[in-house]
Amino acid sequence: MKDDFLWVEKYRPKKIAEVVGNEEAKATFVEWLKNKRHTKKAVLLYGPPGVGKTALVNAASNEFGFRIIEMNASDTRTEKAINKVAGPATSFVALDKFSTESKGNLLFLDEVDGIAGNEDRGGVSAIVKIVEESRVPVIMAANDPDLEKLRPLKKVCALIRFQQVRIPLIIAMLRRICIMQHVEAEFEALERIAQNSRGDVRSAINDLQSLAEEKRVLTLQDTMMLSSRNRDISMYETLKGFFSAKSLAEASTLLSRSSVDYDDLLLSVSDNLPLRYTDSRELAEAYDLVSKADVFRGRIGTENWHLLKYFFNCLAQAAAVAPQSCKSFELISPPIRIITLFWTKGKRTALATICAKIGARCHVSRETAKHDFVPFVKIMLEKQKSNPINSWLKLELEEVDYLVKMGKF
Amino acid sequence: MVVLNKKAFKLPRVEKEKFILLLRLGLEYDREQGSFCISSYNNIERLLDTISSILNDEKVMFLQNCILCGRDFPCSDCKYYDLCSTKNLPFHCVCTQCLKEGRAYEDSDK
Repeated sequence: MKDDFLWVEKYRPKKIAEVVGNEEAKATFVEWLKNKRHTKKAVLLYGPPGVGKTALVNAASNEFGFRIIEMNASDTRTEKAINKVAGPATSFVALDKFSTESKGNLLFLDEVDGIAGNEDRGGVSAIVKIVEESRVPVIMAANDPDLEKLRPLKKVCALIRFQQVRIPLIIAMLRRICIMQHVEAEFEALERIAQNSRGDVRSAINDLQSLAEEKRVLTLQDTMMLSSRNRDISMYETLKGFFSAKSLAEASTLLSRSSVDYDDLLLSVSDNLPLRYTDSRELAEAYDLVSKADVFRGRIGTENWHLLKYFFNCLAQAAAVAPQSCKSFELISPPIRIITLFWTKGKRTALATICAKIGARCHVSRETAKHDFVPFVKIMLEKQKSNPINSWLKLELEEVDYLVKMGKF
Repeated sequence: MVVLNKKAFKLPRVEKEKFILLLRLGLEYDREQGSFCISSYNNIERLLDTISSILNDEKVMFLQNCILCGRDFPCSDCKYYDLCSTKNLPFHCVCTQCLKEGRAYEDSDK
């Protein structure tokens, strides 16, 4: 009999125990939700699609009696829209919290990595502000947490990673649905659906429904029409596979399957090359190829994507300079440059503020102030900290200390 | 190959930087017992690589726990070993025996 509902909706987990796989992530999430004195006020659930992030939030709110206020990718998520919906929901304690059945509101922002740059302007900063001021749990879900735009969010969130669901777990779950739907399924058929889903429970259930609906028996023969699915691979997996590739073709295929940011990939490859090649001649050859890849990356820009194959090819050649000498090593990731920028952000901001003050007082640009004025101001302050120039430039005490202790420019 | 118990395992003494790295990657250290346990699974692959490097590049694996019968079993028993993206990681799974017996997911509640 044909069902009116999608099976993914019909068998959507009502309890936390019904969410398939990721037991460790589930336990961490429940612990966070139960603990009222969180070290972080919000949580970001991240992982590939179809592994139970949204299902877990719905099941947990159902089990613990929270009322979900949800914004997902289909909503406009500008600063104004977010403040309109999430502001009241997170700043007031609902009256029904005092009833025995409800624990109050829970703000759930699904697919936060889908917040677009232009259409959803100010969205991320509005979320950060809401998280900081919120009086209710704030939960977010994303597929890719490494996006540049999500960095401010990651600072204020506890991160919980979801992995692909394992094949035996998917088979056990599909078997349960077959029992409920009175479908007699061959083990091999369920096995093939589970393998084809690549850890995505939602697509496995959809495949099962498309094949088994209106049937009493599901055979392996019925599953032959299933098309295979491709999945993206992360930066760490990309680098690991890239540096252990046995051939040019293997490295090239891996790069073309990966969805990582190409600039980050280039920096990461460059950082890890000295660990990969100990022979200086091999290392020089590899760096030469990376520099060529960098040239192609520059020429690709944002439109000449037909050059991407040359970028991949040069990088793949860098990995395969001496495939026989491959030995496992500890990868450096994320790129050193990005880590350095992160750690020095405070110092750079302090220097920028000082340059702005000098620039305004001396009628020069900040850049000129940095290069032509700051070294001399530093020497003056080193000799006498309470120099009258302090008050003239309106420098704070911390800024004077910073200038005195500052190293080279 | 080294088989570790995810609830508690011991490692040889390591230098300070390595110890800090282990804690950053998600291990927790029990000072009284002198043992480690996993507190965060967010960087589990890097964590395993680091443990492996501490153990002289020995391959590290964890026993899996069957969600249906509660039995511990190694990944090497599994016929989907080559297809699995999380093999040898300390996660729950379904053992070969339960799969053979045709047990379904709801049985885990019983």
